Amino acid sequence: MSDERDPVVSDEGTAHAIEVTINGETHKRTVLARQLLVHFLRDTLGLQGTHVGCDTGSCGACSVIVDGQLIKSCMMLAPQVDGASIETVEGLAQDGELNVLQRSFNENHGLQCGYCTPGMLMAATDLLRRNPNPSEDEIRHGIRGNICRCTGYVNIVKSIKAAAEAGAGAAEEASR
Amino acid sequence: MLLESVEYTRPRNLDEALRALASREGAAVLAGGQSLVNVLKNRVASVDLLVDVSRLDELRRIEVGADGGLEIGACVTYDELERSDDIRGAQPMLASAAGHIEDRQIRNRGTIGGNCCLSDPSNNLPPLLIALGATMNVQGPGGGRQVPAEDFFFGYFMPALEPGEILRSISIPPLADDAGVGYQALSVGHDSKAIVRAAAHVRGGDTIEDARVVLAVVGPRPVRHSAMEDLLNGAPASAETVERASEAIGDGDGLEPISDAHGSADYRRRVARVLARRAVYEAMMRGARS
Repeated sequence: MSDERDPVVSDEGTAHAIEVTINGETHKRTVLARQLLVHFLRDTLGLQGTHVGCDTGSCGACSVIVDGQLIKSCMMLAPQVDGASIETVEGLAQDGELNVLQRSFNENHGLQCGYCTPGMLMAATDLLRRNPNPSEDEIRHGIRGNICRCTGYVNIVKSIKAAAEAGAGAAEEASR
Repeated sequence: MLLESVEYTRPRNLDEALRALASREGAAVLAGGQSLVNVLKNRVASVDLLVDVSRLDELRRIEVGADGGLEIGACVTYDELERSDDIRGAQPMLASAAGHIEDRQIRNRGTIGGNCCLSDPSNNLPPLLIALGATMNVQGPGGGRQVPAEDFFFGYFMPALEPGEILRSISIPPLADDAGVGYQALSVGHDSKAIVRAAAHVRGGDTIEDARVVLAVVGPRPVRHSAMEDLLNGAPASAETVERASEAIGDGDGLEPISDAHGSADYRRRVARVLARRAVYEAMMRGARS
């Protein structure tokens, strides 16, 4: 965490020096209190894999994992993640290769327009960590916070199920 | 979306938080933020200082007293309520209700204190906390005070908090050996916004005692239905008793349900009668089983 010091006050509110680790890389930035985490990721750091869907905490397109917990990044302020470790969709692929879950979405047609996909992938990553072999009901409960307006969820559920069967769950559980 | 200019502070303890909160009129407590951040986006409240209490250890504890009563810190999240062995053991209905709030992302951030202090009449936890006989432990600049849960939810988005006060924790007395709790809701969708809620507590075995029947989303605040409770207390624990007592829910009983896209006032009143009945049955069954 960054050193304790008084934030800078201007007519834009307070600015805070924060230090966060994102997909294993440490970033130090000064952020305004009024900046949402999702805009910190997308605009300040250029990590545009995390999407803004509804901007009201309903759709889950902006889901990321903060200190091991799935959250919606449009519902947190940037200064709140000072000292945190964040995982975003950019961290899933390893050495340029899609991971098992991402490949499964590809192979099972788990997306159409792709807008919800980053959030779905992070929700599924979180689910498989907690429950490496989820039932269909458990998968649907796990992605309750993520809205897809194209697929009707059938192929998304199928993709997550297939990823679990291909060992994605066991791998995620081991990575906890 | 860019929020309006705002200042942010993360106090290191409750005293610092109280001082920050008292420092200006536009200061607001930020806990899980799952409602407040949307309020800030909509610019419907004039907040110029956010006092982030979400990381304060002293607000994040779950303690079990010698008598089996619970004291739950205001910043304990829904997910922590659902997973806590202490809560599952002492108040399984609270753990279960917390596990059905919206979705995982919200359960990871949203807090029991935030759910209460928003005082949204459709929120999950207030009616249940009233049925459980909970007490809200409030801390202000001049010290602490206790507010019974049934007096805390004052009106639409109005908790019984004075300016400068923070909800510190919630105390829930232990359930008696012969007590049972029921909780029913009719929701728009799975785990989502409720059209009507009913929570009930009964004990006594063959004869009903200590009946508490709480209805929510039928007015500006969750309320105990004392006419129905009076018909339950002292009566035999039977289907007929519950059926007859639920008929007390109707015109002239003080409920003020609204009409909206999800149901008319009349519909809500009818649903309230059905859910109150089911909640009391459920409480009787659970009490008999324990």
